Amino acid sequence: MLRSTLLLALGLATIGATATRADEFTKTDIERYQKEFDLVAAKGRELWTSGALGTNGVACAQCHPNAANTHPETYPKFQKQLGKVAQLFEMVNWCIRNPLQGANLAPDDPRMTALVSYITFERRGVKLAPGQH
Amino acid sequence: MAVRKRAATMLAAMLSLSNAGFANVGFAGVAVAEPLGLPPVPIPPDNPQSSDKIALGNRLFHDLRFSSDGAVACATCHKDDHAFTDSPLRTSEGIRASDGIGKKTGTRNAPTIINSAYFTTLFWDGRSASLEDQSQHPFLNPVEMGLATHEPILAIARTDPFYVELFKKAFGKTGDGVTMEEVKKAIAAYERTIVSADSPFDHWRFGHQENAISEAAKRGFEVFVGQGRCVSCHVIEQDQALFTDNRFHNIGVGINRAQFDVPRLSAEFLTAKAKGADVDKAVLTDPKTSELGRFAVTDQFDVIGAFKTPTLRNVAVTAPYMHDGSLRTLKDVVKHYNNGGRSEGDPAQVNDYLSGGIRPLNLTEQQMDDLVAFMETLTTPAYFGAKTR
Amino acid sequence: MSEFVTRRSVLAGAGAGAALTTLPISMVTLAFGGEREDFTFTYISDAHIQQIKGASFVRNWDQGLKRAVAEANLVRPESDFVIFGGDLAQLGKREELDHGAEMLSKLKGRLHAVMGEHDYYLDLGDYWSKLYGPHYYSFDHKGVHFVVLNSILTSEQWTFHRWPTAEQRMLEMAGLDNPNGSPFMVGDKQRKWLANDLAKLDKKTPLVVFSHSPLQKIYKGWNFWTDDAEEVQALLAPFDSVNVIYGHVHQIQYNQIGNISFNSVMATAWPWPYPQSYAQAESHLPVLTIPMNRADPFFERDATGWQLIDMGSGRVTARYQLWDNDQRTVAFDHKAGHPVDVAYQEPTQRRLPQNQY
Repeated sequence: MLRSTLLLALGLATIGATATRADEFTKTDIERYQKEFDLVAAKGRELWTSGALGTNGVACAQCHPNAANTHPETYPKFQKQLGKVAQLFEMVNWCIRNPLQGANLAPDDPRMTALVSYITFERRGVKLAPGQH
Repeated sequence: MAVRKRAATMLAAMLSLSNAGFANVGFAGVAVAEPLGLPPVPIPPDNPQSSDKIALGNRLFHDLRFSSDGAVACATCHKDDHAFTDSPLRTSEGIRASDGIGKKTGTRNAPTIINSAYFTTLFWDGRSASLEDQSQHPFLNPVEMGLATHEPILAIARTDPFYVELFKKAFGKTGDGVTMEEVKKAIAAYERTIVSADSPFDHWRFGHQENAISEAAKRGFEVFVGQGRCVSCHVIEQDQALFTDNRFHNIGVGINRAQFDVPRLSAEFLTAKAKGADVDKAVLTDPKTSELGRFAVTDQFDVIGAFKTPTLRNVAVTAPYMHDGSLRTLKDVVKHYNNGGRSEGDPAQVNDYLSGGIRPLNLTEQQMDDLVAFMETLTTPAYFGAKTR
Repeated sequence: MSEFVTRRSVLAGAGAGAALTTLPISMVTLAFGGEREDFTFTYISDAHIQQIKGASFVRNWDQGLKRAVAEANLVRPESDFVIFGGDLAQLGKREELDHGAEMLSKLKGRLHAVMGEHDYYLDLGDYWSKLYGPHYYSFDHKGVHFVVLNSILTSEQWTFHRWPTAEQRMLEMAGLDNPNGSPFMVGDKQRKWLANDLAKLDKKTPLVVFSHSPLQKIYKGWNFWTDDAEEVQALLAPFDSVNVIYGHVHQIQYNQIGNISFNSVMATAWPWPYPQSYAQAESHLPVLTIPMNRADPFFERDATGWQLIDMGSGRVTARYQLWDNDQRTVAFDHKAGHPVDVAYQEPTQRRLPQNQY
């Protein structure tokens, strides 16, 4: 028992010795990861203008061109229409349910992820201001 | 005396909710801490509370002598044991009709005094900016107390020994120094003590007591803040719930049936107003004018057929509903909203001036029942026994 | 919110020192030692009637147009005429134009219509002409010369050769922020026509130009833009008092360039954000403009509305009838020489909902 443990420890130490540290990534990795995000944000843009999120053909872009006036940098914040402090995805769902007359998306639904990616992308560079009305 | 009995009842009720979080409750119902779920009562700087004022206001509120036939007080339509309404009457009834048969009827449903201290305007159409201002008008309205002037009130206030003593203690005024200003302030001070929250809903939401309300009511709450879209006007916030936004909305009650008359009505009303007609009298005595809502007060198209959002606290015991008392039950109310602002008997098309917040909701029968169950949790225990049926 | 104008309300306003630079005709027959009558007309714009399927349309936009028409009909004294400012339909479809036209037909008074891009790019205004006549024209009324321009045209390339189908073309132009869109213009042909139309006029004649696009260069990304704005302005410049009234932007804007005052009108359908709320681009919202109050999306009609436009001494006062929002009046200030908001132009008067977007 002791011998096999020692062998295991030695084996692991050997593996450890060859190179891998913490979160290792290269410039190519970064570019690739960024592209992954860009793809999802592009998908979000597509959904934004599609009119397919609800049941009446209205698109987010009709009231929010370039995702203007969505203010992702202010969330979480007290949202009057929800009666509580809420996160961005909850307000996105409010819009899907109300002006778009559709149904909620789960917070981790790929479409919600895409929408939030697009919204925040269009608002990049703006300082965080959580709680701001 | 009535005042002590009132205070004792309120005190008992408040103390019976042991974890209500009250600091100290003074005599005559002067609650120092606000009940769970409500913010502090707004008190105007020129009318601070005092137990003398409150006792005075209480008596004035209940005094039948301030009417042309000696039979009507504020409490006639705002009855203490009817949750301060005249349920189940649809519209208020005032002095005896001049032919002696029956009472004069108004056009509007007497709203509850409970929590009226939180309104920024009073009356269904907001024509008074304060409780003080509101209190003077029913005395002079032909379908309420029917007095020609306030003089009879002052005559009594300046001579009745009870009033003489209390006006002196409350305001330091005697004789002709006692004016309607003091009367109004006293009535308002009393009304500011008629405040209630601590309902099962408050204990569930703000007191974090999971079992305070039923599962149906919890589902109903989700409808209230979700598909029912109630929360934007009947405001609930993170740590308090006024259940009113203090704004005016046309939700299609009454106005739907009058919609084709609006052009003529509005023109006629404005002509009359220009000639000096009194808005207070017009809206309470003429049902068609009443339907114009806040338009009669501000002359603005935006508020044609618009009425103030009432609080939903104690709504289960303040039937019937709406400014004209036309909806008998909470289920009827929910159906009206579910239909996008119309009820049975209304024309097929909703009126053109409908608030932008009103639309068909597509609630299921279950959701509607749950919503009613939720609203029934908004009653303060002190009013559970209100005789409103 | 709009006011039912009565003698009493006007006198009350005047008594309070309100800056009423113009008054409806029945109140005052001559103003400012005037040579011309003052009058009022109604302006309704950007209805965006949108078909979902068959006979069902987006209820939200229908309600806006219905309400504007109902309220416009309540005004006393009655307006001289009504202008529809463009974008009656959302995708230029016959069904949408018909549904919108049916609602507009309930208006009392004479209707003149202005073309919007959402009406034009499906069939290049063919059905529109059947409903409302020529795409650009002029008329005179009580000494004022009115011109209606079709200012949402774009290049021949984009209009005729870029897209495989008319539907595609309409869809591309329908997206305000669509990078595949193309900047609006009045174009050579119309500018020639305009020059001709104006040539016979005395330079003192007050001019009012109705246009869908702003006839200014505000923000290209959202086509708050007219590519030949300078050329058009040059044609208008010789006149003493010119007023351009435009739709398209779905928000309150106003400006002054030389002798030309600019006033936008609201949509009945939905409000648009101010361009400066888009963090990734620069915009040139006229510095004069005090934004409308920020809207609460729960109330569908918030920050939508219609207008009463008063003409007085050749200048425009725009009375914005905003539902669930603050009524706004933008009037020409003769001392300052440009439009001002009568309540909020002073920095100390501004309200938080106008700044905190």
